[in-house]
Amino acid sequence: MAHTGNNSMHRSSSRPQLDLSKAEIQGNVEEKYPTILLPNQSHDISHLALDIGGSLIKLMYFSRHEDQSTHDKRMRNVKNRLDGNRRSYPILGGRLHFVKFETSKINECLDFIYSKQLHCGGGESRYSDATTDSNAIIKATGGGAHKFADLFKERLGLSLDKEDEMSCLVAGANFLLKAIRHEAFTHMEGQKEFVQIDPNDMFPYLLVNIGSGVSMIKVDGDGKFERVSGTNVGGGTYWGLGRLLTKCESFDELLELSQKGDNSNTDMLVGDIYGGMDYSKIGLSASTIASSFGKATSEKKELEDYRPEDISLSLLRMISYNIAQISYLNALRFGLKRIFFGGFFIRGHAYTMDAISFAIHFWSKGDAQAMFLRHEGFLGALGAFMSYEKHGLDDLMVHQLVERFPMGAPYTGGKIHGPPLRDLNEKISWMDKFLQKGTEITAPVPMAPPGTTGLGGFEVPLSKGSTLRSDASALNVGVLHLVPTLEVFPLLADLKMYEPNTIDLSDHSELEYWLKILSEHLPDLVDKAVASEGGTDDAKRRGDAFARAFSAHLARLMEEPAAYGKLGLAKLLEMREECLREFHFFDAYISIKQRENEASLAVLPDLLMELDSLDEETRLLTLIEGVLAANIFDWGSRACVDLYHKGTIIEIYRMSRNKMQRPWRVDDFDAFKERMLGTGDKKPPPHRRALLFVDNSGADIVLGMLPLARELLRRGTEVVLVANSLPALNDVTAMELPDIVAEAAKHCDILRRAAESGGLLVDAMTNTYDSSKENSSSVPLMVVENGCGSPCIDLRQVSSELAAAAKDADLIILEGMGRALHTNLNARFRCDALKLAMVKNQRLAEKLIKGNLYDCICKYEPAN
Amino acid sequence: MDLKKAQTDPILDPNQSNYVYHLALDIGGSLAKVVYFTKDDDHFVDGEEGLSHRKALEKSNGSRQYPVLNGRLNFKKFETSKINDCVEFIKSMKLHFGGSQRQAIPGSQPIAVKATGGGAYKYADLFKERLGIILDKEDEMDCLVAGANFLLEVVHQEAFTYMGDQKQFVQIDQNDLYPYLLVNIGSGVGMIKVEGEGKFERVSGTSIGGGTFWGLGKLLTDCKSFDELLDLSYRGNNRAVDMLVGDIYGGMDYSKIGLSSTAIASSFGKAISDNREREDYKPEDIARSLLRMISNNIGQISYLNALRFGLKRIFFGGFFIRRHPFTMDTLSVAVNFWSKGEAKAMFLRHEGFLGAVGAFMSSDKHGLKELLANQVVQRTPSKLSFAVDKIIHGQPDGDESIECSVYAA
Repeated sequence: MAHTGNNSMHRSSSRPQLDLSKAEIQGNVEEKYPTILLPNQSHDISHLALDIGGSLIKLMYFSRHEDQSTHDKRMRNVKNRLDGNRRSYPILGGRLHFVKFETSKINECLDFIYSKQLHCGGGESRYSDATTDSNAIIKATGGGAHKFADLFKERLGLSLDKEDEMSCLVAGANFLLKAIRHEAFTHMEGQKEFVQIDPNDMFPYLLVNIGSGVSMIKVDGDGKFERVSGTNVGGGTYWGLGRLLTKCESFDELLELSQKGDNSNTDMLVGDIYGGMDYSKIGLSASTIASSFGKATSEKKELEDYRPEDISLSLLRMISYNIAQISYLNALRFGLKRIFFGGFFIRGHAYTMDAISFAIHFWSKGDAQAMFLRHEGFLGALGAFMSYEKHGLDDLMVHQLVERFPMGAPYTGGKIHGPPLRDLNEKISWMDKFLQKGTEITAPVPMAPPGTTGLGGFEVPLSKGSTLRSDASALNVGVLHLVPTLEVFPLLADLKMYEPNTIDLSDHSELEYWLKILSEHLPDLVDKAVASEGGTDDAKRRGDAFARAFSAHLARLMEEPAAYGKLGLAKLLEMREECLREFHFFDAYISIKQRENEASLAVLPDLLMELDSLDEETRLLTLIEGVLAANIFDWGSRACVDLYHKGTIIEIYRMSRNKMQRPWRVDDFDAFKERMLGTGDKKPPPHRRALLFVDNSGADIVLGMLPLARELLRRGTEVVLVANSLPALNDVTAMELPDIVAEAAKHCDILRRAAESGGLLVDAMTNTYDSSKENSSSVPLMVVENGCGSPCIDLRQVSSELAAAAKDADLIILEGMGRALHTNLNARFRCDALKLAMVKNQRLAEKLIKGNLYDCICKYEPAN
Repeated sequence: MDLKKAQTDPILDPNQSNYVYHLALDIGGSLAKVVYFTKDDDHFVDGEEGLSHRKALEKSNGSRQYPVLNGRLNFKKFETSKINDCVEFIKSMKLHFGGSQRQAIPGSQPIAVKATGGGAYKYADLFKERLGIILDKEDEMDCLVAGANFLLEVVHQEAFTYMGDQKQFVQIDQNDLYPYLLVNIGSGVGMIKVEGEGKFERVSGTSIGGGTFWGLGKLLTDCKSFDELLDLSYRGNNRAVDMLVGDIYGGMDYSKIGLSSTAIASSFGKAISDNREREDYKPEDIARSLLRMISNNIGQISYLNALRFGLKRIFFGGFFIRRHPFTMDTLSVAVNFWSKGEAKAMFLRHEGFLGAVGAFMSSDKHGLKELLANQVVQRTPSKLSFAVDKIIHGQPDGDESIECSVYAA
């Protein structure tokens, strides 16, 4: 590894400079333009890009991840062992932020850039003097990039480097479709359905960008596109005519008005002409619009006699239908199978999308579907961003992006007060103010209401009402985390078919149930979180803020399940953990975990002795029973939290194990046993390497999974314990495991030798790398992090070290509800897989296995 | 075809038919169009004398001799909202009396008149009550197509192009007329693929049509009539309301995609300005912008449909055009722009009356259709006695007539 020992990326507060040390040319030097890697180039180059349109300014900026110093000895050791000659990453890890402003309020945009110090190289130097770099050049597109060039130069000293608008649009769309899972969706009669586009089969498509006017672009590939058509009847027409005809003050107000309209008062319908009858001969129903505004020709009525709602709806339909029609005709003309609509006119506005979808359906007679993009509006800005030479986004794969939705920043009473939130304290104060004002936060991450919104940390309120709604459409755009170290778990049998979630949250009752569960669990979680930080006033304040923020998320999802994209239970549970971290609760269960680990470790020697006294077959069964029994200890489950108050760990464990009456609800134990022990004289070879996806701390890991790991080690199988990178509930983390193993190893030779061999007992050694080689008498026990901080796991996005460890594995054991039930119960692998869990939720038991609370699952699926 | 039958039909004998063969109606959403035939000698007569006088001329046509009725096909428009004017007109012209007999025959069957357009349903009762006539509804599109086919086949110099103030008549070879796209711009717009006599299909349309122009125009200006709005548009400048490509790119063309700085990027896109209200815009400019928006759009959708079905010609008709030069010009420019010069918009001199003519044709008691279809068209049309010699411009609301002769048995 070139840069593991060199990760001291000190942030200089000086002016941006390229750090060329350790620069290396990546790839084949014979290539004409090899990629140049700048491993020591930190966040100093401001990756800021703008799309300045006629109505809105879209801004995108990139910030580096803070260094998560996971470069402890464990990791280095694992890397030495597993990584071999793994490639280094040309992609910078970091975050992409999306922000919008109204063009007419361009000063807000300038202030934002200034206060975030984006014009002088990224957020980190924000406390330094705002010395502007007179040479700074940023990429910009949109008509305003020309128009406002002088203003940017004068105010911020920034030169705008103008990029072609359409190239940007296409580059942005291609990137999103390629890199973001479920970026596209259809919208029919209010229902969003996310669509996964196969990146290998996405071309050609028609991209319809509806801004003030409309451009229709045929896209054949990266950088291969042509503007084939367009229309001057677009968003500007809607808003322009709407403004002349109504008293609306903003585009969004006009849109909202349309929802209460009835266009039959202004439009001449087929029924009006045919006296209420359909003109069925040509397939026109009585409600088809024969002539938009055709009824406004009446002599007796003046403009004032028409309802603005009706006018707005009539306008909206006229324009949406027209755009859809022309788009469809062009798609047909060029044989394009997909039509994506984007641009600010859509703004995720449900009615607009419905109107366009309806029209596409109508004109194509159902052959074609309109599709929309979650990041519509940001295509141009993204494209401009990508026009930087070394943005690294080109190489980015879908599995390397994680979208998160942090609570936003200051908006009170309709005005932006002061600069964007810079730290947690400001964020909390802001939320406090909110509460004082009695304003309900229903939108954690508002997206560009009329007053323009900052995303991911900066936002402006809607002008009216006491309820802050994000946007009529209710689609939020989060912060995109670029995590170059994420990979697809290589042992998945069929990546295309893989869906981690087993519960379909698009079923509304299901969603309601789980939101309620999370909601009910919230006070307990807040208590724990506050206690984990010592119960200080500061912690209490943060706890309140967290509770408010997370409740807002839940309320938001209740109102609009698609608000954060395609929703799954895994995402929902991870959101809770992320929200905790956002308010600096890094490990809410830390003390509970420690207490339970200690208690469990104390009884471990007795358990191991008991196990060793059993014959091989009984021992295997007892071990599996033990895993299932120990899995009862789960702070994520209400039922189990109640149990805790009724006895000691070992009592509960033994009681639980004794109740393990076979057959379990799902019981493949015999098949597993046959693979392990064989039948008769046939002794099958042991597995080469087993990956054990562990779940909770305490009894679960210590009394359940460790003994099972020990058994595998004893049989000559290498064991890799796969644990969370970041805390989630009381799940054990990869950081904590080495200590637990070391403690357990004190009483067990097998574990000790394996742990030494795996380099886990670092304290005992001076040079872990060398000693692990010497000590190869035992198969190793290793620990890797899984790359996530959620109680569930999406195997499309795992850490590179897990992916590396998986290469030699031929057995996977998934344990616990989060990883084996909520997710992955139906996952198929290319090697033997054992899924073990106790069902600690009645509804889940009914849904998944038609069983009951505390039923057990032992699902064994041999490799084909 | 049995030519003999065609010749011997007593097409003008009022006693054998209760059809008023000389009158047909097309009642659309905005306008009611009336087509009626008058004989030369009673054209200007108020109906007091010589009413049943039939002047049959013998005219040579090949080896046969036919009686010919000289007269005019008259065209008149009324706003549908003033349908009473239409009723009064028919009454005053006594067009509602059967045939040449200008008096109701007591006890006879009610008299039927061919009619098309949505209003033929809607106003059926009114006509029955006020004039005692039954509207015999003909399918709208059948009429439209029949009317267009008839005019294109029979009337010399019916079609023309119009670009940059240049009107150019197009001689269409009747053997090469089909298939074509007929775009009828009424309140809404119907687009019809025509492949031959009676062979056609409505392939598309748009709700943004004449009704939209007049409806939005009425809401946005103080115009009292469609024509006033049209006139206004002629004097306007759309730059004040439309966002042009140059407005976005600071006066520069976006030449990469072939858009000049004067191209409209967004119709009414400039009207979003915070500081200006409706009163601050000149009605002329608004009218102009509206007209360009709508014409442009129709031109574009028409072209795309012509392309889709491989149709070589696009004819625009319907009352929206009203032979307004600017409307025709924008439609032509749009077709020219979107087709990159490969297609041309064509117009019909009798745009607006296609449906009415078609309805008129559908009652073949007058024999026009038979004669034309069976004899004249298949022979030498230039020698037709149904010839349009001049168009007589009547009142401002678009009266006109075609001088013609009808063969009589």
